[in-house]
Amino acid sequence: MSSIQINNVTKRFGDFTAVEDMCLDIEEGEFVALLGPSGCGKTTTMNMIAGLEDVTEGSILFDGQDLSGTKIQDRNIGFVFQNYAIFTHLSVYKNLSYGLEVKKVDKAEIDRRVKAMADRMSISHRLDQPASSLSVNEMQKLAIGRSAIVEPRIFLLDEPLSNLDAGFRAYMRAELKVLQHEFGQTMIYVTHDQIEAMSLADKIAIIDQGKLMQYGSPLEIYNNPANRFVANFVGSPRMNLIDGELREERGTLRLMVHGGAEIPLSGQVRSEFSSDTKVHSGSFGIRPQDIYFGARRAEDDIEMHGTVEVLERVGPKRLVYLQVLETMFLAIDDQDQLNVGDEVPFYMPPAKSLAFDLASGRRLGG
Amino acid sequence: MTDIPTPASQTTQSEKRKGYWATVARDGQKMGFWFILPTMLLLLFIVVFPLLMQLYLSVTWWTPLEGIPWYRAWEVFSWGENYWFLLTDPRLWGALWRTVVIMGIAVPIQFFLGMALAYLFVDKFPGRKIFYSIMLTPMMVVPAVVGLMFFLLFQGTGPVNDHLGLPADFSWLTDVNRAMISVIIADIWQWTPLMFLILLAGMLGVPSDQLLAARLLGGSNWQNFLKIVLPRMKTVIIIALVLRAVECFKIFDLIFIMTKGGPGVQTETISLFLYKQTFGELEWAYVAAIGLTILFVLSVIAAKGLSYMAKKNG
Amino acid sequence: MKVSPGALALKYVFVLLAAAVVLYPLLWMVTMAFKPYPEWTTVSGLTWFPKNPTLQNFEFIFYGEAEGLVVSLDRTIVGPLISSLVTSICGTLLAVVSGTLASYAVVRFGLAQSLPLSVLQLRLFPPLAVMIPVMVMWAFIGAVDTWWGLSLIYGIVTLPFAFWLMKTFFEEVPVEIEDAARVSGCSYWRVFYRITLPIVKPGLATCALFVFILNWSDYLLALLLTQKDWVTLPVYMATLTSAMGGQMYGMKAALGVIAAIPPVVFGLMIQKHLVRGLTFGALKQ
Repeated sequence: MSSIQINNVTKRFGDFTAVEDMCLDIEEGEFVALLGPSGCGKTTTMNMIAGLEDVTEGSILFDGQDLSGTKIQDRNIGFVFQNYAIFTHLSVYKNLSYGLEVKKVDKAEIDRRVKAMADRMSISHRLDQPASSLSVNEMQKLAIGRSAIVEPRIFLLDEPLSNLDAGFRAYMRAELKVLQHEFGQTMIYVTHDQIEAMSLADKIAIIDQGKLMQYGSPLEIYNNPANRFVANFVGSPRMNLIDGELREERGTLRLMVHGGAEIPLSGQVRSEFSSDTKVHSGSFGIRPQDIYFGARRAEDDIEMHGTVEVLERVGPKRLVYLQVLETMFLAIDDQDQLNVGDEVPFYMPPAKSLAFDLASGRRLGG
Repeated sequence: MTDIPTPASQTTQSEKRKGYWATVARDGQKMGFWFILPTMLLLLFIVVFPLLMQLYLSVTWWTPLEGIPWYRAWEVFSWGENYWFLLTDPRLWGALWRTVVIMGIAVPIQFFLGMALAYLFVDKFPGRKIFYSIMLTPMMVVPAVVGLMFFLLFQGTGPVNDHLGLPADFSWLTDVNRAMISVIIADIWQWTPLMFLILLAGMLGVPSDQLLAARLLGGSNWQNFLKIVLPRMKTVIIIALVLRAVECFKIFDLIFIMTKGGPGVQTETISLFLYKQTFGELEWAYVAAIGLTILFVLSVIAAKGLSYMAKKNG
Repeated sequence: MKVSPGALALKYVFVLLAAAVVLYPLLWMVTMAFKPYPEWTTVSGLTWFPKNPTLQNFEFIFYGEAEGLVVSLDRTIVGPLISSLVTSICGTLLAVVSGTLASYAVVRFGLAQSLPLSVLQLRLFPPLAVMIPVMVMWAFIGAVDTWWGLSLIYGIVTLPFAFWLMKTFFEEVPVEIEDAARVSGCSYWRVFYRITLPIVKPGLATCALFVFILNWSDYLLALLLTQKDWVTLPVYMATLTSAMGGQMYGMKAALGVIAAIPPVVFGLMIQKHLVRGLTFGALKQ
């Protein structure tokens, strides 16, 4: 078990910068997800933590200790590969015992620990079979068990659930959480699936184009995205992000959207937008579930009118696509009161709206 | 003109022939038959007929010297004398022994060198491509030319003695013991690259993430090589060894050019022995008998090996 | 993966050592080919590079005589060179055409499933163990010392390579492509000729070069089945000594260089497929 500090780490492959000036503090026993679209540098970051890649600049400290001079073999890092990297020519038992055997652990001790781990991962009945005969789900368990048995200082998982079928993925997600508590180990988990990251991790690091976008708890990231990228990336259905020019007219600050739609800004979001006078074009964000229909609930809620274009049923609710001139708003209708073609007013509470600078993507005010 | 035969077009002779080929083109089985025919004829020509002839000649005293055409070889019928003789021919057994010695020394050395080279080349390094090409060159050189090259090198007045600081009368190719060593060195030089090539292909086939996983689990390079790489290369290793062993058993060009089997019979292998029996002694019937025996023994070994492999894999 | 500078340096030491061992005999032969007579042996001191580089050796083997040499040749390299070319090319054509057709039939029509193994057996035995009847047959049909006699045996002994190599290339062509063409009304022949062959064209070229190298490299068969008119390069090279009495290192080296160039060049061209060719398709790179 150990904490990890990633200090100003940069990784370049020739001219290409895969990771730029990354800083992360991971505390002992924390479960951290590295989340981002494919090619964003999250796997490179993890490979650097594992020691599979060199750090170009900066340092990675484990409990304050730099391991860059230590051979991979001696780093004692648990790593679960995306395709599990099971030794398919060996039996399940031999897979589990590998990490102990190479350390010349006593035979009886190996046997005891292998059996315990197999039991824990519920693959005891498969111990003597060749690992190649396992199902994908069992391979996943074996891969985790094989890494866990040597009691690594940290645990790294590279998209561990992406190869599983939907049902087992949900089960494994819960199982991972339980295992993490049981092992009490620092775990770092790479994924491009925001739902997985949200439901599993203590903390999420969102990475885009090699840069850390935001690092915080899932709730923090969801409620308080640091920038436009995070706001756009996290949450399902996606947040409405409406880009436009800011214009002061007759005492009201308006966001003039290309195509003619106008958002009259008020309350908190208005002051956020005007907090930086140098910003002339901005991005207005609101989550679909924060838009409501019917009676206005607060004085300064922003009112707009739109036409219901499409209604899409998702469970008990319906997604509403509202057309305002050329701009589309996504809202949620949980009362089944709308019909396609209706022209309806809808309201957006300013306190739940977010303001971003369009040029830099930076969050304003907040 | 159309490929599709019409009833009217089948009347004339030439049209009829065209009609036949048109049906062949439309019938996979028929076309396959014509496709296989040339190969079948060649096999028939080179296997069935020669085998019968070899069997026939091997039970006679026939030699091309006496002017008896081969089909009248029955006039000098010998029963199984040739076969009886080969069992007790010390020169034959000596040649067989030397062939086995060359195989037993050269092939393992080629294997270990090839494996070491493959290990050097398995990871990328600057210049890898060029060095790879250089390493492959020996096996592409005509074996007879390799014989010539080592013939030149091992002359008393040649560079090997010169560079090792040995006197000009320190002979390699005409020395009772060193002739064999020279030949083996030449064979190792030429065919280590083949081992290297095959073993490297096998080594590159070991999934890199499994190796990484083994490393992360704390296995040293050597432990991982023994427990992950080697077992995964088993098939490749068998292929490489069998291939080399079969080719080494046939060895002729190198030795014939370097030493002609000499001095005396010191480097005389099976192939050289057969060559000398054929052209020196003109004992063609005897050679036929030996050849047939070799054929039989090798076939049995091959069949056993194949069924063993099939059992292991199946 | 990180490699420590020390380990990398060690790797280069070994690689350079191996390269030196590989190049030592080759380089010696190449420089020997350009050395005049006095520099052939230790008598006047050996050097890696010729002190007085000369083309005399090449001149001699091409014209049968050269300035400053008292000896002359009654046969120049021209005949053997033509013989090597003609027989290697004809043998290659025979092997590749019949091997290609047969392997296609085996792969696509599932015919003659025992053919692959029986073809393979041709490579198992030492040629000398089975050559007596071949020599008798060749003499009987008048094929000894003819271009077609040698081409025929070349075509036969390299057929297994052509067959197995093409088999692996055909196996890589998705059957769906052929089925699609057939559904749209193409005959089997048309599918083979117009669709499959163009797809495997690179494979076909590889196969032809590979088989050519094997034929060109032959020494034994030419030794057994030719006498004078159609003697090939390696045989000619080996007999140069015996014909002239003295050792003609420089000339032989020049011959060796000429004989070695085509296979090395072609071999490096098809490097990628060498593994596949040499292991009869059992391994791919």
